[in-house]
Amino acid sequence: MDSPLERVTNLTARVTRLGDEPSGTIDDWGRDPGLVRTTMHLARIRWDVAVGGDQHLPRRKGALVVVNTRRFALAPIFAALALSEAVDRPVRFVGRPDTAPVGAFSRRLGGLLDHPDEVAGALGAGELVVMGADPDARVGAGHHQLVGRVDHALVGAALRAGVPVHPGATASSPFARAARVEIGRASRSPRKRRGPLTELELADQVRIDIGLLLDEFGEVRTGTALDRLPLSGFGGA
Amino acid sequence: MAGRRVFVSGVGGELGTLVASLLEAEDWVGALSGIDADPPRRRLHRTVFHRIHPDEHDRIVDTVVDFNPHVLVHVGVWEPDARAAPHAAALLTDAAATSIIGAAAECRALEHLVVRSGIEVYGRAHGALTRPDESAPVQPTSAWGRTVAAIERTAAQVGERVGVTVGALRLAPVLGPHVPSPLGRLLRMPAVPFSVLADPPFAVIEDRDAARAFVAAARVGLAEPVNVVAPGAITALQAARRGGRLPIPLVGPDWRIARTLSHLLGAPIPDHVSETLHRGRLADNRLMRTLLGVLPDTSTTEVIDRLYHWPSVIRQPARVQVA
Repeated sequence: MDSPLERVTNLTARVTRLGDEPSGTIDDWGRDPGLVRTTMHLARIRWDVAVGGDQHLPRRKGALVVVNTRRFALAPIFAALALSEAVDRPVRFVGRPDTAPVGAFSRRLGGLLDHPDEVAGALGAGELVVMGADPDARVGAGHHQLVGRVDHALVGAALRAGVPVHPGATASSPFARAARVEIGRASRSPRKRRGPLTELELADQVRIDIGLLLDEFGEVRTGTALDRLPLSGFGGA
Repeated sequence: MAGRRVFVSGVGGELGTLVASLLEAEDWVGALSGIDADPPRRRLHRTVFHRIHPDEHDRIVDTVVDFNPHVLVHVGVWEPDARAAPHAAALLTDAAATSIIGAAAECRALEHLVVRSGIEVYGRAHGALTRPDESAPVQPTSAWGRTVAAIERTAAQVGERVGVTVGALRLAPVLGPHVPSPLGRLLRMPAVPFSVLADPPFAVIEDRDAARAFVAAARVGLAEPVNVVAPGAITALQAARRGGRLPIPLVGPDWRIARTLSHLLGAPIPDHVSETLHRGRLADNRLMRTLLGVLPDTSTTEVIDRLYHWPSVIRQPARVQVA
Protein backbone atom coordinates (compact mmCIF):
# COMPACT_ATOMS: atom_id res chain seq x y z
CA MET A 1 0.00 0.00 0.00
CA ASP A 2 1.35 3.43 -0.93
CA SER A 3 1.96 6.01 1.76
CA PRO A 4 -0.11 9.25 1.56
CA LEU A 5 2.98 11.08 0.33
CA GLU A 6 3.57 8.49 -2.41
CA ARG A 7 -0.08 8.69 -3.43
CA VAL A 8 0.14 12.47 -3.75
CA THR A 9 3.40 12.13 -5.70
CA ASN A 10 1.88 9.55 -8.04
CA LEU A 11 -1.17 11.71 -8.56
CA THR A 12 0.95 14.72 -9.40
CA ALA A 13 3.19 12.68 -11.66
CA ARG A 14 0.23 11.55 -13.74
CA VAL A 15 -0.45 15.01 -15.09
CA THR A 16 1.79 15.96 -17.96
CA ARG A 17 2.11 19.69 -18.55
CA LEU A 18 2.32 20.83 -22.15
CA GLY A 19 5.65 22.52 -21.56
CA ASP A 20 7.12 19.35 -20.04
CA GLU A 21 6.47 17.22 -23.09
CA PRO A 22 9.70 16.62 -24.99
CA SER A 23 9.78 17.10 -28.75
CA GLY A 24 10.66 14.19 -31.01
CA THR A 25 8.68 11.72 -28.94
CA ILE A 26 5.09 10.56 -28.76
CA ASP A 27 3.03 9.65 -25.74
CA ASP A 28 1.31 6.41 -24.78
CA TRP A 29 -1.54 7.10 -27.22
CA GLY A 30 0.57 8.21 -30.16
CA ARG A 31 0.09 11.95 -29.62
CA ASP A 32 3.04 13.99 -30.86
CA PRO A 33 3.58 17.04 -28.57
CA GLY A 34 5.82 18.76 -31.13
CA LEU A 35 3.21 18.45 -33.87
CA VAL A 36 0.47 19.56 -31.48
CA ARG A 37 2.43 22.70 -30.58
CA THR A 38 2.97 23.50 -34.27
CA THR A 39 -0.71 22.89 -35.00
CA MET A 40 -1.70 25.16 -32.10
CA HIS A 41 0.36 27.96 -33.64
CA LEU A 42 -1.21 27.35 -37.05
CA ALA A 43 -4.70 27.07 -35.55
CA ARG A 44 -4.33 30.59 -34.14
CA ILE A 45 -4.23 31.85 -37.72
CA ARG A 46 -7.64 30.31 -38.38
CA TRP A 47 -9.31 30.63 -34.98
CA ASP A 48 -9.10 33.11 -32.15
CA VAL A 49 -10.66 30.99 -29.45
CA ALA A 50 -11.92 32.36 -26.15
CA VAL A 51 -12.18 29.57 -23.57
CA GLY A 52 -14.40 29.83 -20.52
CA GLY A 53 -15.46 27.49 -17.77
CA ASP A 54 -12.29 25.41 -17.89
CA GLN A 55 -12.11 25.72 -14.10
CA HIS A 56 -14.94 23.18 -13.98
CA LEU A 57 -12.68 20.49 -15.40
CA PRO A 58 -10.79 18.24 -12.98
CA ARG A 59 -7.17 19.30 -12.60
CA ARG A 60 -5.66 15.85 -12.58
CA LYS A 61 -8.31 13.25 -13.27
CA GLY A 62 -9.94 12.37 -16.56
CA ALA A 63 -13.16 13.90 -17.87
CA LEU A 64 -15.32 13.68 -20.97
CA VAL A 65 -16.34 16.96 -22.59
CA VAL A 66 -19.23 16.82 -25.07
CA VAL A 67 -19.43 19.74 -27.47
CA ASN A 68 -21.95 20.75 -30.12
CA THR A 69 -20.66 20.43 -33.66
CA ARG A 70 -21.43 21.68 -37.11
CA ARG A 71 -20.42 20.03 -40.34
CA PHE A 72 -16.84 20.83 -41.39
CA ALA A 73 -16.37 23.12 -38.37
CA LEU A 74 -13.82 20.73 -36.75
CA ALA A 75 -15.32 21.70 -33.40
CA PRO A 76 -13.91 18.79 -31.35
CA ILE A 77 -10.43 19.47 -32.74
CA PHE A 78 -10.29 23.20 -32.15
CA ALA A 79 -12.00 22.74 -28.79
CA ALA A 80 -9.40 20.13 -27.79
CA LEU A 81 -6.51 22.34 -28.88
CA ALA A 82 -7.94 25.41 -27.17
CA LEU A 83 -8.75 23.52 -23.96
CA SER A 84 -5.33 21.94 -23.99
CA GLU A 85 -3.76 25.38 -23.95
CA ALA A 86 -6.17 26.65 -21.31
CA VAL A 87 -5.69 23.81 -18.84
CA ASP A 88 -2.03 23.19 -19.74
CA ARG A 89 -2.35 19.45 -20.21
CA PRO A 90 -2.97 17.20 -23.21
CA VAL A 91 -6.59 17.03 -24.35
CA ARG A 92 -7.65 14.36 -26.82
CA PHE A 93 -10.59 14.26 -29.17
CA VAL A 94 -12.82 11.45 -30.39
CA GLY A 95 -13.38 10.69 -34.03
CA ARG A 96 -10.17 9.92 -35.85
CA PRO A 97 -10.51 7.61 -38.83
CA ASP A 98 -8.46 4.42 -38.84
CA THR A 99 -7.08 4.95 -42.32
CA ALA A 100 -3.71 6.43 -43.26
CA PRO A 101 -2.73 9.17 -43.73
CA VAL A 102 -5.60 11.16 -42.17
CA GLY A 103 -6.02 8.73 -39.29
CA ALA A 104 -2.30 8.69 -38.59
CA PHE A 105 -2.16 12.49 -38.61
CA SER A 106 -5.20 12.75 -36.32
CA ARG A 107 -3.62 10.29 -33.91
CA ARG A 108 -0.54 12.51 -33.74
CA LEU A 109 -2.83 15.39 -32.77
CA GLY A 110 -4.43 13.34 -30.01
CA GLY A 111 -7.27 11.70 -31.92
CA LEU A 112 -9.00 8.62 -30.59
CA LEU A 113 -11.17 6.12 -32.39
CA ASP A 114 -14.92 6.55 -32.05
CA HIS A 115 -15.16 3.40 -29.92
CA PRO A 116 -16.44 3.19 -26.32
CA ASP A 117 -13.55 0.95 -25.18
CA GLU A 118 -10.98 3.31 -26.66
CA VAL A 119 -12.59 6.29 -24.93
CA ALA A 120 -12.98 4.37 -21.66
CA GLY A 121 -9.29 3.42 -21.77
CA ALA A 122 -8.19 7.02 -22.22
CA LEU A 123 -10.55 8.35 -19.54
CA GLY A 124 -9.47 5.62 -17.15
CA ALA A 125 -5.88 6.65 -17.73
CA GLY A 126 -6.75 10.14 -16.48
CA GLU A 127 -7.01 11.86 -19.86
CA LEU A 128 -9.27 14.74 -20.83
CA VAL A 129 -11.27 13.78 -23.91
CA VAL A 130 -13.48 15.95 -26.13
CA MET A 131 -16.21 14.37 -28.21
CA GLY A 132 -18.71 15.98 -30.52
CA ALA A 133 -22.47 15.59 -30.49
CA ASP A 134 -24.04 14.46 -33.73
CA PRO A 135 -23.96 17.34 -36.26
CA ASP A 136 -27.42 16.38 -37.57
CA ALA A 137 -29.70 18.51 -35.43
CA ARG A 138 -33.39 19.15 -35.66
CA VAL A 139 -34.57 22.61 -36.56
CA GLY A 140 -36.76 24.25 -33.98
CA ALA A 141 -37.00 26.78 -31.24
CA GLY A 142 -34.32 26.90 -28.57
CA HIS A 143 -30.65 26.15 -28.86
CA HIS A 144 -30.93 22.63 -27.49
CA GLN A 145 -32.74 21.83 -30.72
CA LEU A 146 -29.53 22.77 -32.51
CA VAL A 147 -27.52 20.21 -30.58
CA GLY A 148 -27.48 16.81 -32.20
CA ARG A 149 -27.76 13.41 -30.58
CA VAL A 150 -25.05 12.57 -28.03
CA ASP A 151 -23.68 9.04 -28.42
CA HIS A 152 -24.80 7.34 -25.21
CA ALA A 153 -22.25 4.54 -25.66
CA LEU A 154 -19.41 7.05 -25.31
CA VAL A 155 -21.13 8.63 -22.32
CA GLY A 156 -21.39 5.12 -20.92
CA ALA A 157 -17.62 4.80 -21.35
CA ALA A 158 -17.19 7.79 -19.04
CA LEU A 159 -19.52 6.21 -16.50
CA ARG A 160 -17.52 2.98 -16.65
CA ALA A 161 -14.30 4.91 -16.12
CA GLY A 162 -15.87 6.81 -13.23
CA VAL A 163 -15.18 10.27 -14.63
CA PRO A 164 -17.49 13.28 -14.99
CA VAL A 165 -19.18 14.31 -18.24
CA HIS A 166 -19.12 18.04 -18.95
CA PRO A 167 -21.22 19.89 -21.52
CA GLY A 168 -19.27 22.21 -23.78
CA ALA A 169 -20.67 24.85 -26.10
CA THR A 170 -18.67 25.86 -29.14
CA ALA A 171 -19.28 28.69 -31.54
CA SER A 172 -17.28 29.42 -34.65
CA SER A 173 -18.01 31.00 -37.96
CA PRO A 174 -16.93 29.79 -41.41
CA PHE A 175 -15.82 33.34 -42.22
CA ALA A 176 -14.59 34.84 -38.97
CA ARG A 177 -11.65 34.02 -36.71
CA ALA A 178 -13.50 34.57 -33.46
CA ALA A 179 -14.54 31.33 -31.82
CA ARG A 180 -15.65 30.42 -28.35
CA VAL A 181 -15.60 27.35 -26.14
CA GLU A 182 -17.53 27.36 -22.89
CA ILE A 183 -17.41 24.42 -20.50
CA GLY A 184 -20.21 23.84 -18.05
CA ARG A 185 -20.38 22.05 -14.73
CA ALA A 186 -20.51 18.27 -14.90
CA SER A 187 -23.90 17.01 -16.04
CA ARG A 188 -25.82 14.71 -13.77
CA SER A 189 -28.35 12.10 -14.68
CA PRO A 190 -31.80 13.23 -13.54
CA ARG A 191 -32.55 9.86 -11.94
CA LYS A 192 -30.54 7.12 -10.30
CA ARG A 193 -30.71 4.01 -12.41
CA ARG A 194 -29.08 0.65 -12.01
CA GLY A 195 -29.03 -0.33 -15.66
CA PRO A 196 -28.02 1.14 -19.01
CA LEU A 197 -30.75 3.78 -18.79
CA THR A 198 -28.27 5.88 -16.81
CA GLU A 199 -26.09 6.51 -19.84
CA LEU A 200 -29.09 7.24 -22.07
CA GLU A 201 -30.53 9.75 -19.64
CA LEU A 202 -27.14 11.31 -18.97
CA ALA A 203 -26.57 11.69 -22.72
CA ASP A 204 -29.93 13.48 -23.02
CA GLN A 205 -29.09 15.67 -20.03
CA VAL A 206 -25.72 16.62 -21.55
CA ARG A 207 -27.54 17.62 -24.73
CA ILE A 208 -29.91 19.84 -22.76
CA ASP A 209 -27.00 21.35 -20.79
CA ILE A 210 -25.13 22.19 -24.01
CA GLY A 211 -28.31 23.89 -25.26
CA LEU A 212 -28.48 25.96 -22.06
CA LEU A 213 -24.85 27.00 -22.48
CA LEU A 214 -25.63 28.02 -26.05
CA ASP A 215 -28.60 30.03 -24.76
CA GLU A 216 -26.20 31.89 -22.49
CA PHE A 217 -24.04 32.72 -25.50
CA GLY A 218 -26.89 34.81 -26.87
CA GLU A 219 -27.25 35.23 -30.60
CA VAL A 220 -26.11 37.69 -33.20
CA ARG A 221 -29.03 39.64 -34.64
CA THR A 222 -28.26 42.01 -37.45
CA GLY A 223 -31.85 42.50 -38.54
CA THR A 224 -30.93 41.55 -42.09
CA ALA A 225 -31.28 38.44 -44.23
CA LEU A 226 -27.86 37.37 -42.91
CA ASP A 227 -29.61 36.21 -39.72
CA ARG A 228 -31.14 33.35 -41.71
CA LEU A 229 -27.75 32.07 -42.78
CA PRO A 230 -25.88 29.54 -40.59
CA LEU A 231 -23.23 32.06 -39.60
CA SER A 232 -23.86 32.19 -35.88
CA GLY A 233 -21.63 29.19 -35.38
CA PHE A 234 -24.16 27.45 -33.17
CA GLY A 235 -25.49 23.99 -33.31
CA GLY A 236 -25.99 21.56 -36.10
CA ALA A 237 -26.09 21.69 -39.86
CA MET B 1 4.97 -20.33 0.86
CA ALA B 2 8.69 -21.10 1.15
CA GLY B 3 10.19 -24.17 -0.51
CA ARG B 4 8.07 -24.07 -3.67
CA ARG B 5 9.27 -26.12 -6.60
CA VAL B 6 9.41 -24.00 -9.75
CA PHE B 7 9.90 -25.31 -13.27
CA VAL B 8 10.93 -22.98 -16.09
CA SER B 9 10.55 -24.05 -19.71
CA GLY B 10 12.67 -22.22 -22.27
CA VAL B 11 15.40 -21.65 -19.71
CA GLY B 12 18.04 -21.72 -22.44
CA GLY B 13 16.77 -18.54 -24.10
CA GLU B 14 17.86 -15.11 -22.94
CA LEU B 15 14.51 -14.36 -21.30
CA GLY B 16 14.26 -17.82 -19.72
CA THR B 17 17.78 -17.54 -18.32
CA LEU B 18 16.97 -14.13 -16.85
CA VAL B 19 13.77 -15.48 -15.29
CA ALA B 20 15.64 -18.41 -13.76
CA SER B 21 18.42 -16.22 -12.40
CA LEU B 22 15.88 -13.86 -10.78
CA LEU B 23 13.92 -16.83 -9.37
CA GLU B 24 17.13 -18.15 -7.80
CA ALA B 25 17.24 -14.99 -5.69
CA GLU B 26 13.66 -15.40 -4.44
CA ASP B 27 13.37 -16.76 -0.90
CA TRP B 28 10.04 -18.49 -1.57
CA VAL B 29 11.60 -20.67 -4.27
CA GLY B 30 12.91 -24.02 -3.07
CA ALA B 31 13.94 -26.31 -5.91
CA LEU B 32 14.31 -24.86 -9.39
CA SER B 33 14.48 -26.82 -12.61
CA GLY B 34 14.48 -25.87 -16.27
CA ILE B 35 14.26 -27.31 -19.72
CA ASP B 36 15.25 -26.18 -23.21
CA ALA B 37 16.77 -27.31 -26.48
CA ASP B 38 19.79 -25.08 -25.86
CA PRO B 39 21.82 -24.56 -22.68
CA PRO B 40 21.26 -21.41 -20.55
CA ARG B 41 22.97 -18.21 -21.70
CA ARG B 42 24.64 -17.61 -18.34
CA ARG B 43 25.64 -19.54 -15.27
CA LEU B 44 22.75 -20.60 -13.08
CA HIS B 45 23.67 -21.68 -9.57
CA ARG B 46 20.57 -23.42 -8.26
CA THR B 47 18.73 -24.38 -11.43
CA VAL B 48 18.91 -27.97 -12.60
CA PHE B 49 18.99 -27.82 -16.38
CA HIS B 50 17.65 -30.53 -18.72
CA ARG B 51 18.59 -30.28 -22.36
CA ILE B 52 15.65 -31.77 -24.26
CA HIS B 53 14.36 -30.98 -27.73
CA PRO B 54 10.67 -29.94 -27.92
CA ASP B 55 9.95 -33.00 -30.09
CA GLU B 56 11.03 -35.40 -27.32
CA HIS B 57 7.58 -35.53 -25.83
CA ASP B 58 8.12 -38.51 -23.49
CA ARG B 59 11.33 -37.15 -21.98
CA ILE B 60 9.68 -33.78 -21.37
CA VAL B 61 6.70 -35.38 -19.64
CA ASP B 62 8.96 -37.62 -17.50
CA THR B 63 11.18 -34.71 -16.50
CA VAL B 64 8.30 -32.41 -15.55
CA VAL B 65 6.29 -35.12 -13.78
CA ASP B 66 9.36 -36.31 -11.82
CA PHE B 67 10.04 -32.78 -10.64
CA ASN B 68 6.33 -32.30 -9.77
CA PRO B 69 6.43 -28.49 -9.62
CA HIS B 70 4.14 -26.21 -7.64
CA VAL B 71 4.62 -23.46 -10.20
CA LEU B 72 5.37 -23.85 -13.90
CA VAL B 73 6.64 -20.88 -15.90
CA HIS B 74 6.37 -21.48 -19.64
CA VAL B 75 8.74 -19.16 -21.49
CA GLY B 76 9.67 -21.67 -24.20
CA VAL B 77 8.37 -19.96 -27.33
CA TRP B 78 10.03 -19.23 -30.67
CA GLU B 79 9.22 -15.85 -32.18
CA PRO B 80 9.16 -16.04 -35.99
CA ASP B 81 12.46 -15.01 -37.55
CA ALA B 82 14.09 -14.55 -34.16
CA ARG B 83 15.95 -17.86 -33.93
CA ALA B 84 13.97 -19.92 -36.42
CA ALA B 85 12.11 -19.32 -39.68
CA PRO B 86 8.38 -18.64 -39.23
CA HIS B 87 7.19 -22.16 -40.08
CA ALA B 88 9.82 -23.90 -37.93
CA ALA B 89 9.18 -21.41 -35.10
CA ALA B 90 5.46 -22.18 -35.14
CA LEU B 91 6.10 -25.95 -35.07
CA LEU B 92 8.65 -25.71 -32.25
CA THR B 93 6.44 -23.43 -30.17
CA ASP B 94 3.44 -25.68 -30.62
CA ALA B 95 5.42 -28.83 -29.78
CA ALA B 96 6.92 -27.26 -26.65
CA ALA B 97 3.60 -25.82 -25.46
CA THR B 98 1.71 -29.07 -25.97
CA SER B 99 4.36 -31.19 -24.21
CA ILE B 100 5.11 -28.89 -21.31
CA ILE B 101 1.62 -27.65 -20.50
CA GLY B 102 0.34 -31.19 -21.05
CA ALA B 103 2.97 -32.54 -18.67
CA ALA B 104 2.10 -29.87 -16.12
CA ALA B 105 -1.47 -31.16 -16.10
CA GLU B 106 -0.13 -34.52 -14.86
CA CYS B 107 1.63 -32.98 -11.84
CA ARG B 108 -0.33 -33.43 -8.62
CA ALA B 109 1.48 -30.64 -6.79
CA LEU B 110 0.86 -28.05 -9.51
CA GLU B 111 -0.90 -24.94 -8.20
CA HIS B 112 -0.07 -22.29 -10.70
CA LEU B 113 0.85 -21.87 -14.35
CA VAL B 114 2.38 -18.76 -15.96
CA VAL B 115 2.66 -18.62 -19.74
CA ARG B 116 4.39 -16.18 -22.07
CA SER B 117 2.07 -14.48 -24.51
CA GLY B 118 2.25 -11.27 -26.48
CA ILE B 119 0.23 -8.13 -27.17
CA GLU B 120 0.05 -9.45 -30.74
CA VAL B 121 -3.03 -11.41 -29.56
CA TYR B 122 -5.16 -8.25 -29.91
CA GLY B 123 -4.42 -8.00 -33.61
CA ARG B 124 -4.35 -4.81 -35.64
CA ALA B 125 -7.40 -5.19 -37.84
CA HIS B 126 -9.16 -2.09 -39.17
CA GLY B 127 -10.84 -0.36 -36.25
CA ALA B 128 -8.79 -2.25 -33.61
CA LEU B 129 -8.31 -0.30 -30.39
CA THR B 130 -5.24 1.94 -30.29
CA ARG B 131 -4.24 0.85 -26.80
CA PRO B 132 -6.18 -2.28 -25.85
CA ASP B 133 -6.37 -3.39 -22.25
CA GLU B 134 -6.72 -6.97 -21.08
CA SER B 135 -10.49 -6.93 -21.58
CA ALA B 136 -10.15 -6.29 -25.33
CA PRO B 137 -11.12 -9.26 -27.52
CA VAL B 138 -8.37 -11.63 -28.64
CA GLN B 139 -8.39 -11.29 -32.43
CA PRO B 140 -4.86 -11.96 -33.68
CA THR B 141 -4.06 -10.88 -37.22
CA SER B 142 -0.51 -12.27 -37.50
CA ALA B 143 0.98 -15.76 -37.31
CA TRP B 144 2.83 -14.93 -34.09
CA GLY B 145 -0.34 -13.49 -32.57
CA ARG B 146 -2.24 -16.68 -33.38
CA THR B 147 0.59 -18.80 -31.93
CA VAL B 148 0.64 -17.04 -28.55
CA ALA B 149 -3.17 -16.89 -28.46
CA ALA B 150 -3.17 -20.68 -28.91
CA ILE B 151 -0.76 -21.05 -25.97
CA GLU B 152 -3.05 -18.95 -23.78
CA ARG B 153 -6.03 -21.01 -24.86
CA THR B 154 -4.29 -24.34 -24.19
CA ALA B 155 -3.08 -23.17 -20.78
CA ALA B 156 -6.54 -21.88 -19.85
CA GLN B 157 -8.14 -25.19 -20.84
CA VAL B 158 -5.59 -27.17 -18.83
CA GLY B 159 -6.00 -24.84 -15.86
CA GLU B 160 -9.75 -25.27 -15.93
CA ARG B 161 -9.49 -29.04 -16.24
CA VAL B 162 -7.01 -29.61 -13.41
CA GLY B 163 -8.10 -26.70 -11.24
CA VAL B 164 -5.00 -24.52 -11.16
CA THR B 165 -4.70 -20.78 -11.72
CA VAL B 166 -3.28 -19.64 -15.04
CA GLY B 167 -1.66 -16.27 -15.68
CA ALA B 168 -0.65 -15.07 -19.14
CA LEU B 169 1.91 -12.33 -19.60
CA ARG B 170 1.18 -10.50 -22.83
CA LEU B 171 4.58 -9.03 -23.58
CA ALA B 172 5.29 -6.16 -25.94
CA PRO B 173 8.17 -6.94 -28.35
CA VAL B 174 11.06 -7.89 -26.06
CA LEU B 175 14.37 -6.17 -26.66
CA GLY B 176 17.63 -6.78 -24.86
CA PRO B 177 21.34 -6.87 -25.53
CA HIS B 178 21.27 -10.61 -26.24
CA VAL B 179 17.63 -11.17 -27.16
CA PRO B 180 17.15 -12.36 -30.74
CA SER B 181 14.39 -10.02 -31.92
CA PRO B 182 13.39 -9.40 -35.54
CA LEU B 183 12.22 -5.89 -34.63
CA GLY B 184 15.43 -5.04 -32.79
CA ARG B 185 17.52 -6.46 -35.61
CA LEU B 186 15.64 -4.38 -38.19
CA LEU B 187 15.95 -1.16 -36.17
CA ARG B 188 19.70 -1.70 -35.86
CA MET B 189 20.21 -1.96 -39.60
CA PRO B 190 22.11 0.99 -41.15
CA ALA B 191 18.92 1.97 -43.00
CA VAL B 192 15.50 1.56 -41.40
CA PRO B 193 12.30 1.43 -43.49
CA PHE B 194 9.20 3.22 -42.22
CA SER B 195 5.69 3.73 -43.53
CA VAL B 196 5.59 7.28 -44.84
CA LEU B 197 1.78 7.43 -44.71
CA ALA B 198 1.29 6.02 -41.23
CA ASP B 199 4.53 5.70 -39.22
CA PRO B 200 2.46 4.41 -36.31
CA PRO B 201 3.58 4.21 -32.68
CA PHE B 202 4.62 1.01 -30.96
CA ALA B 203 5.84 0.08 -27.51
CA VAL B 204 8.44 -2.46 -26.40
CA ILE B 205 9.67 -4.02 -23.15
CA GLU B 206 13.21 -4.62 -22.00
CA ASP B 207 14.12 -8.22 -21.27
CA ARG B 208 14.93 -7.54 -17.61
CA ASP B 209 11.55 -5.88 -16.99
CA ALA B 210 9.82 -8.80 -18.71
CA ALA B 211 11.74 -11.26 -16.51
CA ARG B 212 10.75 -9.33 -13.37
CA ALA B 213 7.13 -9.56 -14.48
CA PHE B 214 7.42 -13.35 -14.82
CA VAL B 215 8.90 -13.68 -11.34
CA ALA B 216 6.17 -11.43 -9.89
CA ALA B 217 3.47 -13.44 -11.70
CA ALA B 218 4.87 -16.69 -10.27
CA ARG B 219 5.11 -15.17 -6.78
CA VAL B 220 1.61 -13.64 -6.61
CA GLY B 221 -0.10 -16.47 -8.48
CA LEU B 222 -1.40 -14.33 -11.32
CA ALA B 223 -4.72 -15.76 -12.46
CA GLU B 224 -5.54 -13.70 -15.55
CA PRO B 225 -3.84 -12.10 -18.55
CA VAL B 226 -1.85 -8.93 -18.05
CA ASN B 227 -0.12 -6.66 -20.55
CA VAL B 228 3.58 -6.19 -19.88
CA VAL B 229 4.53 -3.06 -21.77
CA ALA B 230 7.05 -0.31 -21.10
CA PRO B 231 5.51 3.15 -20.75
CA GLY B 232 5.71 5.51 -23.70
CA ALA B 233 5.78 4.81 -27.41
CA ILE B 234 7.94 5.46 -30.41
CA THR B 235 7.65 5.27 -34.19
CA ALA B 236 10.08 3.63 -36.62
CA LEU B 237 11.11 7.04 -37.97
CA GLN B 238 11.80 8.38 -34.48
CA ALA B 239 13.73 5.23 -33.58
CA ALA B 240 15.86 5.50 -36.73
CA ARG B 241 16.60 9.15 -35.97
CA ARG B 242 17.54 8.42 -32.36
CA GLY B 243 19.88 5.69 -33.52
CA GLY B 244 21.44 7.79 -36.26
CA ARG B 245 20.15 5.38 -38.90
CA LEU B 246 19.06 6.33 -42.40
CA PRO B 247 15.24 6.34 -42.48
CA ILE B 248 13.84 4.97 -45.74
CA PRO B 249 10.29 6.19 -46.45
CA LEU B 250 8.22 3.48 -48.08
CA VAL B 251 4.72 3.27 -49.44
CA GLY B 252 2.75 0.39 -50.96
CA PRO B 253 4.67 -2.01 -53.18
CA ASP B 254 8.04 -0.68 -51.99
CA TRP B 255 7.58 -2.80 -48.89
CA ARG B 256 7.79 -6.03 -50.86
CA ILE B 257 11.21 -5.03 -52.16
CA ALA B 258 12.28 -3.78 -48.72
CA ARG B 259 11.25 -7.06 -47.08
CA THR B 260 13.21 -9.09 -49.61
CA LEU B 261 16.28 -6.89 -49.32
CA SER B 262 16.11 -6.87 -45.54
CA HIS B 263 15.82 -10.67 -45.53
CA LEU B 264 18.89 -10.98 -47.74
CA LEU B 265 20.80 -8.63 -45.46
CA GLY B 266 20.04 -10.77 -42.40
CA ALA B 267 17.07 -8.95 -40.86
CA PRO B 268 13.91 -10.67 -42.10
CA ILE B 269 10.62 -8.86 -41.44
CA PRO B 270 7.98 -11.38 -40.31
CA ASP B 271 4.32 -10.45 -40.65
CA HIS B 272 3.88 -9.34 -37.03
CA VAL B 273 6.81 -6.90 -37.34
CA SER B 274 5.47 -5.69 -40.69
CA GLU B 275 2.11 -5.17 -38.98
CA THR B 276 3.82 -3.19 -36.20
CA LEU B 277 5.45 -0.90 -38.76
CA HIS B 278 2.19 -0.35 -40.66
CA ARG B 279 -0.48 -0.35 -37.96
CA GLY B 280 1.43 0.22 -34.71
CA ARG B 281 1.30 -1.84 -31.55
CA LEU B 282 0.43 -0.36 -28.17
CA ALA B 283 -1.24 -1.80 -25.11
CA ASP B 284 -2.51 -0.53 -21.78
CA ASN B 285 -0.17 -1.51 -18.94
CA ARG B 286 -2.13 -0.14 -15.98
CA LEU B 287 -2.95 -3.61 -14.59
CA MET B 288 0.75 -4.45 -14.23
CA ARG B 289 1.06 -2.54 -11.02
CA THR B 290 -2.26 -3.73 -9.65
CA LEU B 291 -1.83 -7.41 -10.41
CA LEU B 292 1.92 -7.91 -10.36
CA GLY B 293 3.04 -5.11 -8.07
CA VAL B 294 5.83 -4.15 -10.46
CA LEU B 295 6.27 -1.51 -13.14
CA PRO B 296 8.86 -1.46 -15.91
CA ASP B 297 12.04 0.39 -14.95
CA THR B 298 12.79 1.35 -18.53
CA SER B 299 10.53 3.34 -20.87
CA THR B 300 10.09 2.47 -24.53
CA THR B 301 12.26 5.40 -25.61
CA GLU B 302 15.03 4.37 -23.20
CA VAL B 303 14.91 0.78 -24.44
CA ILE B 304 15.28 2.01 -28.03
CA ASP B 305 18.16 4.31 -27.02
CA ARG B 306 19.87 1.36 -25.32
CA LEU B 307 19.23 -0.80 -28.37
CA TYR B 308 21.58 1.43 -30.33
CA HIS B 309 24.23 1.33 -27.62
CA TRP B 310 24.35 -2.41 -27.10
CA PRO B 311 27.55 -3.70 -28.71
CA SER B 312 27.36 -5.70 -31.92
CA VAL B 313 28.64 -9.25 -32.21
CA ILE B 314 32.41 -9.13 -32.02
CA ARG B 315 33.98 -11.93 -34.03
CA GLN B 316 37.36 -12.99 -32.69
CA PRO B 317 39.48 -15.19 -34.91
CA ALA B 318 40.93 -18.35 -33.37
CA ARG B 319 44.43 -17.90 -32.02
CA VAL B 320 45.48 -21.16 -33.55
CA GLN B 321 43.92 -22.38 -36.76
CA VAL B 322 43.19 -26.06 -36.29
CA ALA B 323 41.28 -26.70 -39.50
